[in-house]
Amino acid sequence: MSYALNEVEATAKRAARGAGYDWGLAEEAAKATRWLCAQGLDGAAVLAGLLEAGYAAELQSHVPQSLEGDWQAEAPLCPLATGAVLSDCAARLQVLTLAMGPVSRPAMILPFAAMAARQLGACVTVEGEGFQAVTDGIGLQCEGTLPETAAQLSIRAAGSLANANPCQTRAEPEEAAWAVLNRFAHKTYSPATEESRLLGAGAGLSDND
Amino acid sequence: METTAQTTISRRDPAQVMRLSRLGSLHQCRLSFMRVLTRRMARENWSFARPKFDIDGNGVGVAVYTAAGPARTYSLIAFAHDLPPEMRSDRVIATAWDATFTLFDGVPTDADIERLSKNVPYQEAGRVNEKSLSVSRANRSVRLWAHFVDALSQGQQPDPAQVEAVGYLMRTTAVYGSGKLGAADREAIADRPELSTPFQAEMLSVFLTRAFVRDLVEHMARAKGGGNAVPLAPETARRLGIGNSTGLGMAPYIVNHPVLFNNWIMAREEAIARVRSVETASAEEAACFRRMLRRSELSAARWHSEHPAQIKKLASLHKDLEALTAWVAADDLLNDHPWDRLIRWSETALGLEGQELAASLILEPYGDLVDGLSDCMADANKDAFIIDGAMPIAQVRQLIEDSFAWALDLDWSARENCARAWYVSEEKLEPRMGERFDEPIAAYEQPLAPARDAAAAHAALAGWDGDEPIASFLLRHPEHRHTVRRAQMSRVAPYSEIRSNTISDRVLPVDMLRAKLSFFGATHFDPRSDRWVRICMYAGAPYPEDLTTANADLWVYPEADQ
Repeated sequence: MSYALNEVEATAKRAARGAGYDWGLAEEAAKATRWLCAQGLDGAAVLAGLLEAGYAAELQSHVPQSLEGDWQAEAPLCPLATGAVLSDCAARLQVLTLAMGPVSRPAMILPFAAMAARQLGACVTVEGEGFQAVTDGIGLQCEGTLPETAAQLSIRAAGSLANANPCQTRAEPEEAAWAVLNRFAHKTYSPATEESRLLGAGAGLSDND
Repeated sequence: METTAQTTISRRDPAQVMRLSRLGSLHQCRLSFMRVLTRRMARENWSFARPKFDIDGNGVGVAVYTAAGPARTYSLIAFAHDLPPEMRSDRVIATAWDATFTLFDGVPTDADIERLSKNVPYQEAGRVNEKSLSVSRANRSVRLWAHFVDALSQGQQPDPAQVEAVGYLMRTTAVYGSGKLGAADREAIADRPELSTPFQAEMLSVFLTRAFVRDLVEHMARAKGGGNAVPLAPETARRLGIGNSTGLGMAPYIVNHPVLFNNWIMAREEAIARVRSVETASAEEAACFRRMLRRSELSAARWHSEHPAQIKKLASLHKDLEALTAWVAADDLLNDHPWDRLIRWSETALGLEGQELAASLILEPYGDLVDGLSDCMADANKDAFIIDGAMPIAQVRQLIEDSFAWALDLDWSARENCARAWYVSEEKLEPRMGERFDEPIAAYEQPLAPARDAAAAHAALAGWDGDEPIASFLLRHPEHRHTVRRAQMSRVAPYSEIRSNTISDRVLPVDMLRAKLSFFGATHFDPRSDRWVRICMYAGAPYPEDLTTANADLWVYPEADQ
């Protein structure tokens, strides 16, 4: 089925929240998933795989333990939380190459590399074993195959965009992944009670006159 | 926002403007989205047609209305239904309606209409594609509809008193745009000049819906009365608007789109500042203001509500209008910054309803200073989302204080200060607000209390070195990420934050609804509870076939003989 990118964004936000991420990171997940879909990648499938890994419950184990040197943790890095840090630290890419790993679902790092590229006004290259991706912040050019987990990523302000993916205005996520997102999103909905049905929306005086 | 006009008087302080009580007293103005649309369509000489009206004697069928501008044509596809009364509800949880609609991008083929007929009548349970720009539904006003059909079918015109008491034959209960239910994203149409101002597709849909509703009631009267039936008198048709019944769901919008909401408020504030900066007014400008004030009195006289809070506000508005009329009668409105003098006086003498009405009214004589600001009301600044992680913590603290100094010392654990929680119900995803301490809803709370969250972030930042970059803090405290983002957005969006508590035991969500609906250009706000409001749209407006540059703008102000 074809979905509007706004539907992808709204569903991704609720799903990430339902999976236990704080609202700010859920917002990042929503924009990131939308961005991947706009590049013609199945962002919904990437997010669904990530949410099923269940990192949100112990997120501090899945973020860089220090911003000095290589970005590492005891457990695989969460690409949402680590991606957000990457965007927050975009200015560092002007002076060094960031190394991080292992990173779960490295495709989810790419939207944050794009946010870094927009802040720098320069292309950013993300490289791991078997793939290389370049983004100027708007478009993406990706060679090779993005793995489920990357042992090591190197990220630097470099590269140029010769053959960007054509931008998509709709998304066609894999159905199973879309169902996973909706299952997580459902956790954000309050079960209806008779009281909330009567009072919560506040219809008040008759609504049929 | 671009500022080209000279302003010697600055915009009003966000601390004054963004209080919920004031936002809940806003009135339509020259920048309202309905007026922006009708001005443009008249200026560009849009043409309108009804290529299909295939509706039976029971009022069931489909009609198509087209609006053709210089570059593109849009079509309203209207599906009319025969709804059993017990199924009629304005709630989101309803599953059937008297009429359902989609605004189609272009002119639909029979195959398009066939496909949409299997989806649009089911609303949230159906799917549309990117050829649809909006999806909406409407219910009849039971009282007025039956009276109109009866009267017209017997060759009579409806009773003017009943027309005035209700104001519309149908009210929309949701108008979905921007990607909802599979429709086109806002981003896909935002660069079209005719749709670049916010909500233009939705406003066009409602404009055409009004023509459909008039045609449908005449059709039903003919079906009932045959040769005895008469058409609706044009002056009565003109007074009818389209109602809108808006529940809680719209309130989160202005919190969830801080830059967009800022752009609406800032455009109006800039307009007010420009007009206040006018040193001397011409006789014609002063006369224009006096005419619109007189017509506002007529509009206010036709504004009815049964809700105690609104009855009180209306009494205040009537009193304010008397005082304003007296002040204006004693002043020539020509010299010494007349509009600034008026606004300054209003702040000492009028209630919030009257102050905001005066602020909207002074814009009327100055289309040349004001109307161009409608180009600044969309949100094109996608990068405002990106957090500047290098910003020193001290600066983030200062930004939070700029918007939320009033909230930092509030005891946020006190029950009265956090009595409510906003959540989304499993049942058809209806947005609701509940009692945090009486209902099991806190775990589902939506982030609609920016002030509480700002106070929490500010407290968490207290122990950090002010020179550290905010990125270090966010790495350890992702729970404050959304608050830091909003704080940084406020640099470019000073009017983005509501400066009142949105979860207190006294919060009135209808104030948030009114703030948004006033920018649509709605009038006659009629709260049905503290979180539900009915309004009227396009009352007094010309119908598509009558639209000219002469009547495209000031229709919102009734004339004495109407």
